[in-house]
Amino acid sequence: MTPVLEVENLSKSFGNVQALRSASLSVAPGEVVALLGDNGAGKSTLIKCISGVHRPDAGLIRIDGRTVAIRTPREAIDAGIETIHQDSSLAADLSIARNLFLGREPTRLSWLGALAPMDRGAMQASARTLLARVGIRRALAPATPVSALSGGERQSIAISRAMQFAARLIILDEPTNNLGVEETRGVLRFIREMREGGHSLLVITHNVHHVLAVADRFVVMRRGEVVAEGAVAGSDVLGIESLIMGVDLKAGAEA
Amino acid sequence: MTATASRAPSPPVALLRRPQIASLVILLLVLVGFGLASPTFYSPRNVGNMLAFMPELGLIALGMCLLLTAGEFDLSVGAVFGFVPCVVFILAQGGTMGIGAAILVGTALALAIGLVNGLLVVKIGISSFLVTLATMLMVRGAALYVTQGFPLDSWRAPSTVVTLLAGSFEIGGLRVYASLIWFAALTLLAAYILNLSKLGNWISAIGSNRAAAVARGVPVDAVKIGLFMAVSALAALAGLISAFRISNASPVAGTNYELEVIAMVVVGGTALTGGYGTILGTIVGVMLLRAIRNGIIMIGVPGLAYTIFVGGIILVMLIVHAALRRAGGQG
Ligand SMILES: Nc1ncnc2c1ncn2[C@@H]1O[C@H](COP(=O)(O)OP(=O)(O)OP(=O)(O)O)[C@@H](O)[C@H]1O
Ligand SMILES: [Mg+2]
Repeated sequence: MTPVLEVENLSKSFGNVQALRSASLSVAPGEVVALLGDNGAGKSTLIKCISGVHRPDAGLIRIDGRTVAIRTPREAIDAGIETIHQDSSLAADLSIARNLFLGREPTRLSWLGALAPMDRGAMQASARTLLARVGIRRALAPATPVSALSGGERQSIAISRAMQFAARLIILDEPTNNLGVEETRGVLRFIREMREGGHSLLVITHNVHHVLAVADRFVVMRRGEVVAEGAVAGSDVLGIESLIMGVDLKAGAEA
Repeated sequence: MTATASRAPSPPVALLRRPQIASLVILLLVLVGFGLASPTFYSPRNVGNMLAFMPELGLIALGMCLLLTAGEFDLSVGAVFGFVPCVVFILAQGGTMGIGAAILVGTALALAIGLVNGLLVVKIGISSFLVTLATMLMVRGAALYVTQGFPLDSWRAPSTVVTLLAGSFEIGGLRVYASLIWFAALTLLAAYILNLSKLGNWISAIGSNRAAAVARGVPVDAVKIGLFMAVSALAALAGLISAFRISNASPVAGTNYELEVIAMVVVGGTALTGGYGTILGTIVGVMLLRAIRNGIIMIGVPGLAYTIFVGGIILVMLIVHAALRRAGGQG
């Protein structure tokens, strides 16, 4: 089967920091791939190249087998890639509904271009449906400003935005960071549901237990390079942690 | 304490917490207060005078409100306000072109200044405070240079454009200028853009969380550059209206207007740091500062002391907004 996403030999430097060194990975249709690595390993940089936030210095990105040039976030979104970034992807001063449709507002009189009036009825209605789907317990009006929400609620809003546009590939950068138990469970449930719905996911996380719970495959990065990958089936926490840290933890534990 | 604090405020309280509504209440108090303290505050002459001045700073304030909402400043508006009319008067009086063509050239100049401001801010990444501080000096310097520092000969030739910009008519002893109609129309347009249009959602999002707007594919740079150009064009329009009204263009016209306009916008409840803007609040701010300027003199405060009051009321309003924000309101 042709992979949904293939990244080949991607490199990216910021000044003299080389954040990515010829990194490659692929995600198959309906597959959940966990991207692992210590702080500063280059995980966020890699997914920012895929989602059009950064332009790679070298390397190729293929979507459904076709090489694409993703120059802007807009092009990534149009290619079916929805990304939930690590550093909040919501505008806190805006309402839930306005955030859900940011950049893709439904409009009436669309010939007016950017000046077209937003179809606020449609926005409120879809916002209500989505809020019910992500299972936020508290009754939230779509007009509530995001600044009034908890971290977990914000994460759920960001996730429901990815759901709503039914992307081919959903990228989540540390989606369970700072979340409570219940909210973390919600995120993991969302990942499973999306996978069952036929979507592919690339999930960055530091929590190996979550990898075992929801991922099919894992990819480990260290200092900008992809250093290991493997199937989750048959792996255990200690084995994966050894790969992340680059030392043999099992040998240490047994000694 | 937690029980009462976490309960949603009842509608009137929630409304009062909106910064623009709080500003509106204070404006009404000020208007009533001046009316009681000075019998001539509501005379046709004073009302007409306030209505004539209001659009001039008000037009700039509309643009500044949108720009601040997107998280940027423009300090060069006062200089553009002075510079563009000087250029237009020189071109028209030199006989090289008609007044209409001269206004087009002046507007193009203003748009170019806005474009330069915008490009330097978004493409080079210098803060708009610094960029527009520098262009303010350059534009003001240019105004002084082209006029050699003197006000230009007065302009009295009648023409349609001039009537459209600065004509006036009388209703029941009240002199109403055409600029008030422009101001009203542009106020409605600005309110529509900010609150109802797709562009308005982008502007607020950019000021609230630029990275989030970028990640959603919002054309952040184009929006910011466009706003800088719009503010500059509005400053030129305001400058022309003012110059035609008094039939005079001076290279020092509009000095310190940039600060007064920013004060008006912020007093109305727009966040100086971006993300939240209100056109209603901006209009309230424009009216409030105007009313205070006129009212304070009419109730007999010595002319030289009134700036103290203007500064004082701005401070009071900002304290009110900060207190509202801390109390959990919108901000
Ligand atoms: N915009 C930037 N400018 C300069 N350096 C950057 C930039 N973004 C990332 N870096 C550097 O690139 C390296 C990789 O950063 P990246 O954010 O990709 O790491 P990460 O694997 O996502 O880490 P974490 O787990 O802490 O999120 C780091 O050394 C970081 O300092
Ligand atoms: Mg990261």
